Amino acid sequence: MTDAGVRSSISRLRTAGLRSGRRPVGQNVGRLGVTLALAFVVLAAGAGYWQVWRAQELSTAPDDPAVVAAARHVVRGQIKDRTGTVLATSRKDANGEPYRVYTDPSMSPVIGYASRFFGTAGLEHTYDAQLTGVLSPDPVQQLLAKFQGNRADPQDLTLTISLKLQRAAQRMLGDDKGAVVMLDPSTGEVLAMVSGPTYDASAVANPATAQKAFARLQADKDKPLLNRAVQGLYVPGSTFKIVTSMAALSSGAITTSTTYPQQPRAEETGLLVSGFRIRDGHHPFTDGRALNYPEAVEVSCNIYFALTGLRTGGARLADWAGRVGFGHQIPFDLPTAASQVTNGGGKFGGGFKDAVEVANAAYGQAEVLATPIQMALVASTVANDGVEMKPQLVRSFSSDKDGTRTVGPQQMADVLTPDVAGEIKSAMERAVEGDFGKLFTPGAAVPGIPTAGKTGTAQLAAGEPHSWFIGFAPVDHPRVAIAVIVENAGHGASRAAPMAGDLMKLYFDTFGK
Amino acid sequence: MTNAAAPARPALPPIAFSGIRPRARWREMWLLLIVALTLYVGSISLGATEGATAGKALTLTPAEDQPLAIYLGALLLAHLAQVVAGRRTDQVLLPAVAMLGGISLLLMERLPQSLVSQSFGGLDLGLGQVQLLWLLLAIALITILSIVVRSDSWLRLYKYTWAAAGIGLLVLTFIRGEDVNGARLILVIGPFSGQPIELLKVIMVVFLAGYLSEFRPLLVEQDTRVGPLRLPPLPYLAPMLVMIALALGIVVIQRDLGAALLFFVVFLMLLYVATARAAYVVLGLLLFVAGSYLMYRLFGVVQDRVDIWWDPFKDPSGNGYQIIQALHAFARGGILGTGLGAGLPLVGGQPPIPAVHTDFPFAALGEELGLVGVLAILGLYLVVIERGLRIAAAAADDFRALLAAGLALVVGVQAFIIAAGNLKLIPLTGITLPVISYGGSSILANAVVVGLLLALSDKGVEPPPPPRAGRRFARLRDAVGGRAR
Repeated sequence: MTDAGVRSSISRLRTAGLRSGRRPVGQNVGRLGVTLALAFVVLAAGAGYWQVWRAQELSTAPDDPAVVAAARHVVRGQIKDRTGTVLATSRKDANGEPYRVYTDPSMSPVIGYASRFFGTAGLEHTYDAQLTGVLSPDPVQQLLAKFQGNRADPQDLTLTISLKLQRAAQRMLGDDKGAVVMLDPSTGEVLAMVSGPTYDASAVANPATAQKAFARLQADKDKPLLNRAVQGLYVPGSTFKIVTSMAALSSGAITTSTTYPQQPRAEETGLLVSGFRIRDGHHPFTDGRALNYPEAVEVSCNIYFALTGLRTGGARLADWAGRVGFGHQIPFDLPTAASQVTNGGGKFGGGFKDAVEVANAAYGQAEVLATPIQMALVASTVANDGVEMKPQLVRSFSSDKDGTRTVGPQQMADVLTPDVAGEIKSAMERAVEGDFGKLFTPGAAVPGIPTAGKTGTAQLAAGEPHSWFIGFAPVDHPRVAIAVIVENAGHGASRAAPMAGDLMKLYFDTFGK
Repeated sequence: MTNAAAPARPALPPIAFSGIRPRARWREMWLLLIVALTLYVGSISLGATEGATAGKALTLTPAEDQPLAIYLGALLLAHLAQVVAGRRTDQVLLPAVAMLGGISLLLMERLPQSLVSQSFGGLDLGLGQVQLLWLLLAIALITILSIVVRSDSWLRLYKYTWAAAGIGLLVLTFIRGEDVNGARLILVIGPFSGQPIELLKVIMVVFLAGYLSEFRPLLVEQDTRVGPLRLPPLPYLAPMLVMIALALGIVVIQRDLGAALLFFVVFLMLLYVATARAAYVVLGLLLFVAGSYLMYRLFGVVQDRVDIWWDPFKDPSGNGYQIIQALHAFARGGILGTGLGAGLPLVGGQPPIPAVHTDFPFAALGEELGLVGVLAILGLYLVVIERGLRIAAAAADDFRALLAAGLALVVGVQAFIIAAGNLKLIPLTGITLPVISYGGSSILANAVVVGLLLALSDKGVEPPPPPRAGRRFARLRDAVGGRAR
């Protein structure tokens, strides 16, 4: 092809274009450009929607990785027992992210766990903000702020728990299910709080073992993740007679010298209440004598308390039980279950269904259910001359920036007059130290220290009864109150009472008499 | 060749080195200087953030100056090569693409390097280093194509051959390919592996440009009359529709929905450019709606994608996880961004978005550069589109115009599809963000696009062959191996 040939072909192309009347392609390209520009404007608007309009909401959501990362990067404060022994501390994994290590499994029901995968439980949950150094009412904002530069100021927790008592209680409970709560009656400080079976919280906190450990715990039919001391609802049995005593003596329904003439005979034939016969074991050593109040406590006479309950009435029984904590969740560092005297809804007064229910409830059966911490508070209230202190697990918070802040004791309720408290106290002393009491409550007495207490044998619909004991020592100026329950362990005397005695002895051995 | 310097030369061989005369490219130089400065500032910002994260005192030194220096050095060489070659090619395209590549380099340096590990002859390279390697190859490819390609006949004349090669590549991938996330995407031949779909999009544009330019007069002027209806000339459309349907079908069977969408949209847009007939677009959209509905009913994967798009928060830790994480990333970025290196909080040592370097670099940049950065990146793509369409508008003939427009569209539409997917404007599909996403196939394919666009932008290239009859003659001539002198 020559130059001329090429030129002519170009001109042919051009004229062909003109002849056909087509628009040049360039013009269509222009429209395409506008279309694409508009599409990109839509993109810009979309970006603006997420980056401006929805930015605040999304970037502060609790599952935003920045928030999660901030929470995960904060090294939580340590948790120590009352003597300064470390109970919970942190280690760092291969990615430099901290995870929790717990030094003693007996503490697991109290401290709980802080897990990357399963959140927090126990004190780790209650004091999450303090332990991570976030105290703002808007924790997310606070966390983000921390992540953006300011170092967090995590606080250490010093607990009221004595690891020594805690370990001993756990060891004594062994493989049994149950709970132990030890309190200082004058301050409400919890000295030990054991729930069995316990679990290895470190395995839940360690990211390498967490999934497996947690799945196993959830599948465990013994429910180790349940803190029985605050969440377990048990039939209290005869330990509830102390609550009935509070109501009866305070309301004036009985005095310490009240006797019921029909009581001795009813022990043999049963007590007829509204056509229903309440039966009780016979107390042969009382010689068929009508018992007064301290004697009835000493030998744990069900008939006496059934009659006392009837004389007090459902309304007053429920009222005084409520004053000591029944019927609502006790304010505490851990979530508590509400104890109850009745299922409620009944017309008899106090929510009781009828007189039979009141009579049975008065000695801790029927529909009465109590948590171990509630029963420990009952003992503690009697011990502290009728003043109920708020139970507490944390003695102090401390951090580098803020120093140490001590949590003082707090009164929760003024339940009994000192006189009534004294009357119950001495009855409970007889139940442990009295001639007959010794037979009913062997092993509860602390050698050399006057001890007061009350056993309970909670009859269940099926299986062995729960073994209960509540008590305190020394009687004059009590320094320790205790509630022990061992599930399906038989009579109170057979298991709970000796355990309580040993633990109180350990307390005095450790902290002086 | 007797008279090489004559303005209207007879047909040159497709590759020519004669007549080289250096020509300064001030505009490109200044723009590249701005790009270099911007990237350097970005690198300093990244370095400061990384230093602060590591607990060091604030320093204003770049994160890792070596990769950026190498990258900028390669750009300088590319610029000098253009100057020496003296072609009158576009001076804005390279800086715009270089900026996108530089952003990619900074992002890949900043992401966890363990996302990618490759070893070349005993040398273990992480994400940033591998990406740098691809970017350098891309710059080389752009430079070579833009300087060396002086004729388009090798594209123009063999459109059916290209189409066949493309289909063959797809079939080969389908038979021999390896699966990625349920889509058959990767072809391994000997030591090389790649995503053929990236190359295929270029081949498709070449075919469409060739076919549409040849049949344009017919497509524009003739109708198929069915009773009172005036329909497009179906017989002329048929071969192309078959080809496209075949490609789409295979892509759909391979579960690569992003590529299918890209191909279809580019096809429709080129059809419109060629014919300016709205009827085609309407017909195409109707087909699209019907096809989408059919696919939604037939393919579980399409259903999943659409459901996730409609309500990702229904399954926030499962199917919806990725897109929700992307949206959180945009939200964290806000208007000004967290700053390079300060976003993407690591949870368990992992960035929150799983495929951040391939599918979600836009979200990562949205977080670290903010809305401002997002707008800048979108602007850069618009610049690339604008340059491509400008080249198309100024092209000497229909084939070049359609080729240039198609190449620009391939980049622009792909960027739109993945960006819109990241922003939950449309269902998410796993295609790359051109030039920014990690990956050799994608970066090299886009380099081919840019290189060809640059070559096409030179008005001094061989004039296009005469249409129709002349072209048939030329094809015959080429077939017997002779060339007119």
